Amino acid sequence: MKLLRGVYEGPQSYGILRVAASIRGIHALLRALPGESYFRTLYAARERTGEMAPVTLSPLRGGPDDSMAPGNLARDLSGVLRRHPKTEVVILARSEASLLSGESIPTTLPEVEGTGRTPGLVTFPWERPGMRETEAAELALEDLIRARMQDGLERSPYPTVNIFGPPIFGPGAAAEYAEAERLLEMVGVEVNARVPLGANTTDLGRLPRAWANVLLYREVGESATLYLQDEFGMPRVTTPMIGAAGTGALLRSVGELCQLDPKSVQRTIWAELARTAKLPWYARLEPPETFQNRKVAIFGDFTYPLGLGYALAREVGLEVTACGTYLTHLERDFLFHANTFTEEAFVEEDTEEVAVRIEAAKPDLVIGTHLEVDVANSLGVPYLPLCSPVTDRPFVGRPLMGYAGSSVLADELDVVLREKSTEPAVEAGIQWTDEALQEAAAVPLFLRGRARRLAEERARRQGSGEVTREIFLESRS
Amino acid sequence: MTILNESGIPDVLPPLHAVNNLARRLPDVLVVVAGTQAEAHLVECLPAAPSPNLPPSRRNPRVIFAVLDPDDPPRQGLLASRIVESAAGLRGTHLVLLVAGRTAEPLGVDAAFEARLVARKLGLPVEVVNPDAPHEVSGILSTDLEDSVLAVLVNLCPKRKTSDLVEAASPAKRGGLFGGLLGRGAEAPDSDDGRPVVLLGGTFSSGTAQVLATELSRAGVEVAGSVPSSGIGELPPLGEGTVVAVMDPNLTSAAGVAERRGATVVKTLMPVGVDGTARFVQDVAEEAGTRTSEVVRARSAWEDLDVLRNRIRGKRIFFTGDTGFEIPLARFLADAGAVVLEVGAPRLDRRFLAAELQALGPDVDVVVSPDYRGQTNRIDESRPDVVISSPGLHLPLVARGHLCRSPRDFLEAGLYGYGGARNILELLVRTLERAETLDSLNL
Repeated sequence: MKLLRGVYEGPQSYGILRVAASIRGIHALLRALPGESYFRTLYAARERTGEMAPVTLSPLRGGPDDSMAPGNLARDLSGVLRRHPKTEVVILARSEASLLSGESIPTTLPEVEGTGRTPGLVTFPWERPGMRETEAAELALEDLIRARMQDGLERSPYPTVNIFGPPIFGPGAAAEYAEAERLLEMVGVEVNARVPLGANTTDLGRLPRAWANVLLYREVGESATLYLQDEFGMPRVTTPMIGAAGTGALLRSVGELCQLDPKSVQRTIWAELARTAKLPWYARLEPPETFQNRKVAIFGDFTYPLGLGYALAREVGLEVTACGTYLTHLERDFLFHANTFTEEAFVEEDTEEVAVRIEAAKPDLVIGTHLEVDVANSLGVPYLPLCSPVTDRPFVGRPLMGYAGSSVLADELDVVLREKSTEPAVEAGIQWTDEALQEAAAVPLFLRGRARRLAEERARRQGSGEVTREIFLESRS
Repeated sequence: MTILNESGIPDVLPPLHAVNNLARRLPDVLVVVAGTQAEAHLVECLPAAPSPNLPPSRRNPRVIFAVLDPDDPPRQGLLASRIVESAAGLRGTHLVLLVAGRTAEPLGVDAAFEARLVARKLGLPVEVVNPDAPHEVSGILSTDLEDSVLAVLVNLCPKRKTSDLVEAASPAKRGGLFGGLLGRGAEAPDSDDGRPVVLLGGTFSSGTAQVLATELSRAGVEVAGSVPSSGIGELPPLGEGTVVAVMDPNLTSAAGVAERRGATVVKTLMPVGVDGTARFVQDVAEEAGTRTSEVVRARSAWEDLDVLRNRIRGKRIFFTGDTGFEIPLARFLADAGAVVLEVGAPRLDRRFLAAELQALGPDVDVVVSPDYRGQTNRIDESRPDVVISSPGLHLPLVARGHLCRSPRDFLEAGLYGYGGARNILELLVRTLERAETLDSLNL
């Protein structure tokens, strides 16, 4: 058991629903208590397209099942088919309350009345309470692909790839795919399928037509692409497509796998560097003093902190003094990659501990999820919400990947780094008494930096050379 | 009025989402949500009231999640000691609410036991709240957590003992030596041997208890206090001899607790709209021992609203139902001349809302546990002028070209009393006017 002030990931059902809602032709039946079904509301609020989420609730009821009201799983499954006759695949996701109740679930579907067609039912026997969103999303995507796989597919006559990107709810998820597709087409590679966001159920079965898999978002695509590698010998490209260097490396690997002329790939890269990619341009334009001794702390999922960390450390020249992820199941991989550009790589899912690590890194800039805004505020440093999950819901999705994404990054950095912080890092002369320090230790971590600053300000105003317990308590009231 | 039961899946925001809002409304309360990742995530990412279109509310340091690991159930007392540790860091805590819902028990947490342990160590009241607690009537409302928390607060009110009543009757004795000097102000309301009135509700719109207290004092009734109050220490005495005036239609359990403590819960209309407020003031005053007539005031209030009423007369309104406030709102709007097509009620306690249902106009259909898909179809067919919609349907309905407002917008605007009646109509008129302006644009 952990006492937390916020969580980065949702439960396993949430991850499954995110994947399911990304793919057209899938309808999810969520087995849950009425008080657990918030996906539809969230979908409406996050996506803001006005569409209803392809999710139906099958309410878990305590009492005897004697009415015709929803709640009977078999009946609810046929209800989904009746209401959504175009559904190709029905998936059954279960909330933690449903998993804890230990009820058994059906594994087959009845046919759609009058058509003789039976959509596929995909259930996830590996679901267990306590499992996290990202891991479940990854496994669910693999299961869906396995379930839809067609036999006897031929490789496409011209070079194609599949893009494995983020699922819905990333603020710029769709834009990331679009940027990747733009660049790939520019080097002469067609996109066979975007997975999961934008795919339909048929696409899932035709993935082996492509020559390679481009893994933009490893968090969700990892095991699906590994399955395709093992089963169909499809190679994969895993370089994070963030920053100009990462994007170039990815395009070159794709070119190699698709047997393209390396010179023509390089020409495309140069053209893009001249036209679209502004990050290298920004790094060259700014005087070195802008970046010298400027520290940045990054925290988030997997791809973004690694990609951003690498780009900021190598291409921009900031010092990455902390880089972390909340994805504990990817710990080894993350540390391996992060150690190439920072001394302080860490894996942590407790928001408080994350705040401590970031505070200890004494950053001039915090890049993180929406949960890191408090620690950035308490330190009084600028903050960029660039790692999932973020609550921003822009109407225009802006990519962070590819060359266009590198320009977005340059713009963001330009705004926050322009003003050199005038505040001296250490307040000279203000001491703390032991009692005051003890009081300060009891303040929640993510509020502590702010509390400390307020107390020191108060001490200065009162003309006191030290923060006593009284001053501290007054400043808190 | 017709009541139909659709036995569908209503679109209701999970009650647990209100945690952040409640923590903000009750500043001296520490809220610990015990459950799995799912519960913490729900509170984390659901848009808080008032509007479905807003980003999640800012995190509140007074909300803590105890995330239980299903593979490693905590040993007894561990949760308690962790809560004690975190309570130490937050000054000015006067109550700890342990929100333990559906998963806490199967994962081996005895919430009541842990609460007792924390209470003993901190010397503070610690109460367990179950957001999924089944009600007498089936169904959930998005405001259920508010109801359960108010039920806890009612229980925390100091008891009014019979001896207090006797003492109150002999003012000379009270206050000892300084009674004559200090006690005078406080004695005034007691002197006309009326029974003290406590207002219950109004959690989500601040300052509402004040509005109604003014309204009641105009009628000669002094309000002894309200639940929730500005602090746990300021909760009014509540027990035998107290008159409890319920302001919100969703407070079934809180009202039940007050009744079990021996207080008289006034069965009347909610103080929403002109007639609602008039009946509320009259009935509460009568229960408190004062006879008053609000007829004149109600008539002049209606007259004041004439201009606004003309603007909404004949407008067709559909309530999808989410908070439970839809029924009094529909009642008032129907009285004001609007045409109410349907009122969704995810849960309908007919006994508790008997007065409201009786006052509901003859042409209003109430649909109990409505199905959101059925509702969407009916809205598409009847094309109402305004849909007062639940958060999950808001965007889809707007996308289909319907004009939507959240019931929470009304709560936020302040819907109680005569002034509230004006707020309700103004909000609606504003909505219609803005839609007209936008529709007239040539895009």
